[in-house]
Amino acid sequence: MANWRSERTARDARIEAGRAHAEGKVVPAASVVDLLEAVLKPGDRVCLEGDNQKQADCLARGLAACDPAKVLDLHMVQSGIVLPEHLDVFETGIAKRLDYSYSGPQGGRIAKMLYGGQIELGAVHTYLELFARYFVDLTPHVALIAGVSADRDGNLYTGPNTEDTPTVVEATAFKNGVVIAQVNELVERVPRVDIPGDRVDFVVEADKPFYVEPLFTRDPAAMTETQILMAMMAIKGIYAEYAIRRLNHGIGFGTAAIELLLPTYGERLGLKGQIATHWALNPHPTLIPAIESGWVKQVHCFGSEVGMDRYIRERPDIFFTGADGSLRSNRAFCQTAGLYACDLFIGSTLQIDLMGNSSTVTTNRVAGFGGAPNMGSDPHGRRHPSDTWMKAGREAGGTGDPALRRGRKLVVQLVETFGDKLVPTFVEKLDALELARKTGLELAPVMVYADDVTHVVTEEGIANLLLCRDADDREQAIRGVAGYTEVGRGRDRAKVDELRGRGIIRRPEDLGIEPLDADRSLLAAKSIKDLVHWSGGLYEPPARFRNW
Amino acid sequence: MPDVTDPQTLSWYEASARQRVANLLDAGTFEEFVGPAERAMSPHLPLFDLPRAFDDGIVVGRGTLGGKSVLAAAQEGRFMGGAFGEIHGAKLVGLLRAALDVKPAAVLILFDTGGVRLQEANAGETAIAETMRAITDARAAGISVIGLIGGRAGCFGGGGLIAGTCSRLAVSESGRISVSGPEVIETNKGAEEFDSRDRALVWRTMGGKHRRLTGSADAYCEDTVAAFRQAAIDLIETAPRFDLAMLEAEQGRLEARLHRFGACRDATEIWAQLGINDPDAVPAMTDAAFQEIAAGVTEASHDAR
Repeated sequence: MANWRSERTARDARIEAGRAHAEGKVVPAASVVDLLEAVLKPGDRVCLEGDNQKQADCLARGLAACDPAKVLDLHMVQSGIVLPEHLDVFETGIAKRLDYSYSGPQGGRIAKMLYGGQIELGAVHTYLELFARYFVDLTPHVALIAGVSADRDGNLYTGPNTEDTPTVVEATAFKNGVVIAQVNELVERVPRVDIPGDRVDFVVEADKPFYVEPLFTRDPAAMTETQILMAMMAIKGIYAEYAIRRLNHGIGFGTAAIELLLPTYGERLGLKGQIATHWALNPHPTLIPAIESGWVKQVHCFGSEVGMDRYIRERPDIFFTGADGSLRSNRAFCQTAGLYACDLFIGSTLQIDLMGNSSTVTTNRVAGFGGAPNMGSDPHGRRHPSDTWMKAGREAGGTGDPALRRGRKLVVQLVETFGDKLVPTFVEKLDALELARKTGLELAPVMVYADDVTHVVTEEGIANLLLCRDADDREQAIRGVAGYTEVGRGRDRAKVDELRGRGIIRRPEDLGIEPLDADRSLLAAKSIKDLVHWSGGLYEPPARFRNW
Repeated sequence: MPDVTDPQTLSWYEASARQRVANLLDAGTFEEFVGPAERAMSPHLPLFDLPRAFDDGIVVGRGTLGGKSVLAAAQEGRFMGGAFGEIHGAKLVGLLRAALDVKPAAVLILFDTGGVRLQEANAGETAIAETMRAITDARAAGISVIGLIGGRAGCFGGGGLIAGTCSRLAVSESGRISVSGPEVIETNKGAEEFDSRDRALVWRTMGGKHRRLTGSADAYCEDTVAAFRQAAIDLIETAPRFDLAMLEAEQGRLEARLHRFGACRDATEIWAQLGINDPDAVPAMTDAAFQEIAAGVTEASHDAR
């Protein structure tokens, strides 16, 4: 007779083995290695929680310290390759295969290890895509997660940085997997139950609080006049024209500049209440002046941001908060919100080709995707109209009954023509293609595909790709805003003039913007300290962003 | 929104060197020497394929302050971090030497510098030494030299040494004064000794509030050009004489400081010893509240230098 409970039996055995190192569910930090060696089996799929923000770092250190003779050939299925330990396990043989999403700070090392064949790479995903696969073909056997506090029954308080935890636990706990949580402290009663205790098998008291990267903090003091000019163009030429209310911003300085211009330049244009009211966004400190000036109606967050917790607690009309008062973030839901309920994604990238494909991969860095390709794509499953979406759809053209024409999501690339160290942003061919060839990837890691991008904004102007009718229009529209890069200098002047006549390319002067007006005095806050003042002292910036 | 053209609200930190000097002095009185039109530029930077500035990152000239004749030099922190190169240094040294002939009420140095420009280090180091010599000559001739520090680049390296030879210094919260910068200390001594990414630590150790409390700076201003103007006017009035008695007093003060605070591990311990009740509150204090506290600290006021 068929055994329909083999997974359950295996799970019970793992838990039984782990209990030897626990008192009830509670495991001291010193016993992490013993616990992991008892629970893990060779070849397991393991989700070690960590994304671009919070990290289950105590468990990561424990995993890296396991005996590779006992714990080996793991298949890591995790959002972020962020900590050194995330790659150390591939060097020692503890892990072999990898499916992931984001690898900011480890981008250089992961590229080397891919070239060196130390990692068997499945694929680089978007967050939502990887989460989806947790429920289909990448279901973890063991999940190693992070929370702020837990009680002895395993009820878990994730704090403001809930992020991926509910998704990871859902996929693991309900499919015969083992969930091990590290927490900063054990308490009698958690402030709120983010994960019910019957989904958590072991609770590790971490040796120190889990690490959170303040990835979304942009210091207004570092904002340049070029970024301010681009932000003015985006506000006047895109936000105002399409009346964009529901949106997501990337993490760059350009979009942070937009946030800081809303209460000043946006106010002057009379746009308050007309644009930028509903957000899928992390709690960016640079959004504080717009919130305080009454621009923002509500914000749903992927995660939290270091130093924003007190401010968020005092603004429950704006943010999603729990009964305990603190932020409830959720990456999977917020990514879904960004995909289906936002009319605009605007972000930056490292390279854009002649058709508008973009990538943050260079030949020696594989940064991964995170959420941008998800939010920066036109969801074909969308069925609800909005004026913004419908207008963009009309601009994209099409024939037949208007009631059968879908709208378009606005996907805007906001880039300076030359990036860091004067490396050109516009290229004939993406480095991602070379990386794919060298590592044998079937798909080149493209951040936003050309057919999803609708506008490119540079300091030279806006290219509206929706209005382009053929490949030549498109190439020249991109060349036409590519400035003094090789790509920009390779433009067909007559064609670019024609595109300008058709409103496909618009210069600052076409938008009624005087570039000399792009001054730092337009920023609602010019320093982190100004942001603290705007917040009424509620924002507590991390030490690395202070200059007092 | 503050009106940015109004010197009352114009941020010193945000302003360019030219905006600072023009709004610091009596309106319309600044007259530049060796201005950008003369294109006295670095002869060294092209060797490194680096862009040059028509003024080599420093503005020098004369004008009046509160009706008194002054010479002024303003470093542009946004060009190569305000660093000293050959031309940059020569303009400052020339201005200070001219003071001996012009006999102004004071020379004002608007510091905004990371120190010596690495690409022309020999010329830059020489300029630092020549500047210090020229300052002591000017002071010996009875001309006060007032340093104003509140720019983006702070006052580091040779700039920190020069600041130490000035008659008086005014500083704002964002101004930093030191010789070795945070990154240099970390590189040489390790992050355990000094974590340069911990900017709260950097400001506690080198920032304007600390420098004011220990008496390294003689005035603390809010971050506006108007506040620096008032501080400069006041400091000219109170600048000490430059003689043996003053130098001995300064030596005594520095020795006493080392003796008293040498064992402290953090600036907050020094502030506690200075009699400040809640030292941890100092960094977040408003300018006005801080001024009040600083007024009660004796170290902050002395007649040495």
